[in-house]
Amino acid sequence: MDFEFLIDGKLYKISLEKKETGFVFSDGKKIQEVNIHSISPHVISVLIEGRSYRVFWAQDKEKRYLSLKGEEFIVQEPEATQEAIERREEKSREDELMVRAPMPGKVIKVNVSENEEVRKNQTLAIVEAMKMENEIKSTIEGYVKKIFISPGELVDSEKPLLELGLKE
Amino acid sequence: MFKKILIANRGEITVRIIKACQEMGISTAAVYSEADRNSLHVQMADEAVCIGPAPAIESYLNQERVIQVAHQMKAEAIHPGYGFLAENADFARKCEQENIIFIGPNSKALRLVGDKIRSRQTMEKAGIPIIPGMKSLPSAISEFKRAAQRIGYPVMIKASAGGGGKGMRIVYEEKELKSSLEAGMREAKSAFGDESVYLEKYIEEPRHVEFQALADNHGNVVHLFERECSIQRRHQKIVEETPSPALTPALRAKMGETAKKVIEVSGYNNAGTVEFLLDKNKNFYFLEVNARLQVEHPVTELTTGVDLVHQQVSIAAGENLSFSQDVLRQKGHSIECRIYAEDPFNNFLPCSGKVLFLKEPAGPGVRHDSGIYSGCEVPIYYDPILAKLIVWAENRKLACQRMINALNDYVILGMKTTIDFLQDVIRHPQFKAGKTTTGFITRYFDKWEGKKKSEKNLEIALIASAFESLSGHLPRKKGKALLEEMFSPWKSLGKWRIGGK
Repeated sequence: MDFEFLIDGKLYKISLEKKETGFVFSDGKKIQEVNIHSISPHVISVLIEGRSYRVFWAQDKEKRYLSLKGEEFIVQEPEATQEAIERREEKSREDELMVRAPMPGKVIKVNVSENEEVRKNQTLAIVEAMKMENEIKSTIEGYVKKIFISPGELVDSEKPLLELGLKE
Repeated sequence: MFKKILIANRGEITVRIIKACQEMGISTAAVYSEADRNSLHVQMADEAVCIGPAPAIESYLNQERVIQVAHQMKAEAIHPGYGFLAENADFARKCEQENIIFIGPNSKALRLVGDKIRSRQTMEKAGIPIIPGMKSLPSAISEFKRAAQRIGYPVMIKASAGGGGKGMRIVYEEKELKSSLEAGMREAKSAFGDESVYLEKYIEEPRHVEFQALADNHGNVVHLFERECSIQRRHQKIVEETPSPALTPALRAKMGETAKKVIEVSGYNNAGTVEFLLDKNKNFYFLEVNARLQVEHPVTELTTGVDLVHQQVSIAAGENLSFSQDVLRQKGHSIECRIYAEDPFNNFLPCSGKVLFLKEPAGPGVRHDSGIYSGCEVPIYYDPILAKLIVWAENRKLACQRMINALNDYVILGMKTTIDFLQDVIRHPQFKAGKTTTGFITRYFDKWEGKKKSEKNLEIALIASAFESLSGHLPRKKGKALLEEMFSPWKSLGKWRIGGK
């Protein structure tokens, strides 16, 4: 059976077939026999060319987390993410100008006001989360188009904090 | 001895204390916030009571409620753990008034050591070496400016009521002073409810070396040697070890005696830690007393063979220390890594979410103090510490290797953690050489990008993933199709169609 997987944004095409003696794996360049056993719901043992690998894995929605020999891989199927990628591309321009909360927290201070010019890396606001203050910085040079928050407000992750505009 | 202890905390430290109580035959009462119903400490305790909504200020920091629950559950003593109410002198005082034993120092000593200005004055008078700094709590910005000029830049802003790096800032030039003071005061206010800050000389390239002390209620004081906690990020310790590679036996003895003197002049009892800065010329300066069980206490336990939580409980129950200084020895080497739910690739932002799968490292000389389990939720409301990994080995070189292997053997799926980052810290040649200073992380790990993953491991991950899709998805599809066939109403409806007439 053929599979397509995405890891770190890169697409891999492989095939894995079940035979009487075990599995046969191919990545298009080489064909190998593989001995694979499911040990428990989260553990898979792989023997390939006599080498042993213990793989831990778990599934969370479209993401499959795998860990072996101290390295973690997040595997996704391309169908599940194609739509997401398109959405992301569409939004990326808009997103650069929209400053969002990196995580849930509390707005401590808003350092700028609307229509104010901002430099790259200038602190726009301070959001406190888990008792640490995080400075929200401008990624662009431009001006503050709109402010959506005020000090003391609780914000969720991804909540728009400010909208920036590019200088004419 | 106590029959029941209430633990006014959450997470890994509560689990640690519950285990000690179980060993001592003491039953345990846990408290929890609405966000922590499914937390490990609630599952492990003998009894558990919800004390309020998720925000700590309405639950774990609600002093009246904690005391009320302690009475209700007939707990004779409260162990505060670390953080939350652990160094709150008002809370310790309330416990004393309510005839509940606070497992920690007496409120008077706690108030003294918690007041950094007053404790420095006390130490200076007693001849303990201290870092040049402000002698009183200033109110006007001009006072800060004058003091900074007198002390000399760089200066450090520190929270008067603080600890754990919260509210701390280094200021290199006068023009940064005002904004750093504001930020420091806000952080201090939100972390400790007290915005007082002060300045002191910032010593460059220092080591953080602290001494563990125990003092019973009868005037016996011992120290259990040092812990070096120089590996810090944002002034927060992330790796701790003992013995310190920087100390000679003579210096160790001198600092240990100084630590005992600090405890004595403070009128301090129970477990406490005396923090020093050690400069490159081996001068040491008293920093502060951490009036609690420290996060890093296990490295002391593994090298001295003394269980510090057992000692805390025995001392609180009025018992004498059962050993004297001359029988205490350090054996072997121990290292601790703090495992945080933080994203090392995104400026160490704290993460919340679900631990999909956990495999704890194990083996000879490996200890894992943890507050998590497979399937647990990590709430956003509290400190992002998940667990602590501690190793012991005969010497430092072996301990480093054991830690690297244990981190390699540690699997947490679904959450971003600091495990990979810590592994690279321990692997670093400067760490292996024992050249650890508090600037280590900034100097060597500012542009850390993680290790490159091996092609072979990636291939195995693909194979395992395909295997899972093959064996997991196919039968499920078959089963589902079969069920649909059996119960589908359309099958028994004959020729009827949707919308048909």
